[in-house]
Amino acid sequence: MPPNLRTSVMTHIAWVPKPWLDQARAALAGMAERHPSRTILLVPDPGATESRIDAQLSLECYPVPDVDRNVCSEVIELTLCGSRAQVPASIVEPLLISDLPVFVRWRGEPPWGAQELDQLVDLTDRLVVDSTEWENLPHPYGHLAELFERTAVSDIAWERTSRWRALLATLWPGIAGVRTVRVHGTAAQGQLLHGWLRSRLGRDDVRLELVETVRLEGIDLDGEPAPFPPGDPPSPSEVLSEELDRFTRDRIYEAAVRAVAG
Amino acid sequence: MSTTAAEQQRNPLEEGLMLRRKPDPCVLVIFGASGDLTHKKLMPALYALMLRRLLPPRFAIVGVARTEADDDAFRKDMKEAVQRYARDEFREDVWEELAQNMHYVATDFADEGGEQKLERLVEQLDSEQELGGNRVYYLAVPPAAVPTIVKELGKRRSASGWTRLIVEKPFGHDLDSARALNQLIRRHFDEREIFRIDHYLGKETVQNMLALRFANGIFEPIWNRQFVDHVQITVAESIGIEGRAEYYESTGAIRDIFQNHLLQLLALTAMEPPIDFTAESVRNEKVKVLRAIHTPGPKSVVRGQYGRGYVEGEEVPAYREEKGVPPDSMTETYVAAKLYVDNWRWADTPFYVRMGKRLARRETTIAIQFKRAPHPPFEETAAEGLRPNVLLVHVQPDEGVSLAIGAKVPGQGMQIRTVHMDFLYGGAFRTGMPEAYERLILDALLGDGTLFTRADEVEEQWLLVDSIVAAWQRDRPYFPNYNAGTWGPPSADELLHRDGRSWRRH
Repeated sequence: MPPNLRTSVMTHIAWVPKPWLDQARAALAGMAERHPSRTILLVPDPGATESRIDAQLSLECYPVPDVDRNVCSEVIELTLCGSRAQVPASIVEPLLISDLPVFVRWRGEPPWGAQELDQLVDLTDRLVVDSTEWENLPHPYGHLAELFERTAVSDIAWERTSRWRALLATLWPGIAGVRTVRVHGTAAQGQLLHGWLRSRLGRDDVRLELVETVRLEGIDLDGEPAPFPPGDPPSPSEVLSEELDRFTRDRIYEAAVRAVAG
Repeated sequence: MSTTAAEQQRNPLEEGLMLRRKPDPCVLVIFGASGDLTHKKLMPALYALMLRRLLPPRFAIVGVARTEADDDAFRKDMKEAVQRYARDEFREDVWEELAQNMHYVATDFADEGGEQKLERLVEQLDSEQELGGNRVYYLAVPPAAVPTIVKELGKRRSASGWTRLIVEKPFGHDLDSARALNQLIRRHFDEREIFRIDHYLGKETVQNMLALRFANGIFEPIWNRQFVDHVQITVAESIGIEGRAEYYESTGAIRDIFQNHLLQLLALTAMEPPIDFTAESVRNEKVKVLRAIHTPGPKSVVRGQYGRGYVEGEEVPAYREEKGVPPDSMTETYVAAKLYVDNWRWADTPFYVRMGKRLARRETTIAIQFKRAPHPPFEETAAEGLRPNVLLVHVQPDEGVSLAIGAKVPGQGMQIRTVHMDFLYGGAFRTGMPEAYERLILDALLGDGTLFTRADEVEEQWLLVDSIVAAWQRDRPYFPNYNAGTWGPPSADELLHRDGRSWRRH
């Protein structure tokens, strides 16, 4: 039997506070097959009494279609105890694969201005967040916008609106004069769609009405429901995977966030 | 902003969206709808496109064949084909969406009235579904049926919308017949409306040759006669003729594989960088290579025919023992040739090509063998295990690219061995590879002819084939001259040995 193939197309760092750990592992399990990467899972435990690093190493293998071989990539799970949680860059730097892009997936709302965030932002090519996981929207978008000049940023909440944005684009030019957009979705999706419409149409007078639901279920334009976009919504792994396929700044997203942040 | 003013502006909402161009609404008419190609390739490809939502929003399929059947029987037959041959899991909802606009016309175009029946149905679908008069005709029929269909379609062109004609290989039998066919088709269709399929061009790994060459700065400077010792292109099949004796007897390996797939692989390997990736730019560069291929002399071409042998442990019959093949058949099942591309980049650099049936294994590869290091400063014995650098493009199977380089064997002293750096497609890109026909059908619906063969390319390919075949009329080789399950006749090895080279080791 031919040997297994050890492959990575990137280093994928995930900053996962303990409450997010199960969800993060589930998303990674589905994603790794499409993006074989060296995955470094950083689990901060700043409250631990002892400063140390607990490490766990495993190998994920997936069969290559039509070929009698497996593709394998490694998962390094590090629990950063005590003060180690404040200096993640020094811990992950030696573990990065040279010359391959580095993506950081930050679970939950990043601690704006904190050392650990600053360090990881400086070593990553793309910061992936999900603003659906944040409280007090739209306030945090202002902090996020400050990072745009330092690294490329992706937002899974934004990616989840893409089918709807494509659909709304088909309503051009009728949509150009829209006055009120009612979003049946998460607060993040509502804010981002509102920011997108305002920034793309160059208008500040579009009003947002938000009907909070756990997922994006519908959009009304001036009281008229927009048609439902075709196809099934993507799974969490597929959404993360889409984000990992991008390598450049998303200027349209940045403009939407800036419009929301005011 | 008023709606009228907005209408004149580019849609700002589309900016940044990962939008794929969608084809216009249209009807796809498949001639030869009861044939193998439709079952095994076309319908599974259409299903895959529907699953991925790449077909136009309003789209109808009309199958045309001589077999008596109605719409329901056709849909049932096609459903079974998709369930059997599609690369994706079967989804009833996707199939229903595709099948609801699927129709069938039982007719023979040689019969009076058959074409009117088809025309009535197409016009009805056009007006019911607002297809804008857009039509794609796919000719998946034997070559003899093509002229009649083309003439009838030409007479009945839709007054509105666009029309495209997809023609399957073989496109002609020789230069004269290809020219005649081109002239006939051009009387009714513009070159931009004609899509001559060579399905090899739809393969991801074949297109990757363009990416490898023109997206990487490191290869282009050494992709020439100064650094390349020679090129080997292999299109090997382990299967036999699979019951297609009549077809194969009229083509042989040279018309079945060499004239189209192999020469296209050679053209992509040898072509100059196109100025852009439009259909005309890419095809202009390919046709220059085909024009520059020097006609090989009789000593530079080897033909063969397989005798009995073993393939994958199973005894298989000789070609002359296959059902439908005459016992004294002189049809070649193997061709090897040494070709030269007479231009500034490739002068004096041989391109060794070989293709055949019932070879040791299925493999399509392009091997670029570079010249040896001018003066390895090691002792002779140290570098005994060292072979020249080879960049190997695996077209199928094990799609990918590998580079053979010399490396030091760990330990005392300086022993050098050849090792491989491998890029395996399935390893780095975990998304499923689309079938060639998915890409080609979608491109034809979009009107993009980049991956289709232009009339002048086809004619250049036939010109070369005709000159080789003409030389064959003068001799009668002893057939069979290689056993099934081997790498071809000994004379193919001699072709390279005479130049101090050998076929790539497998």
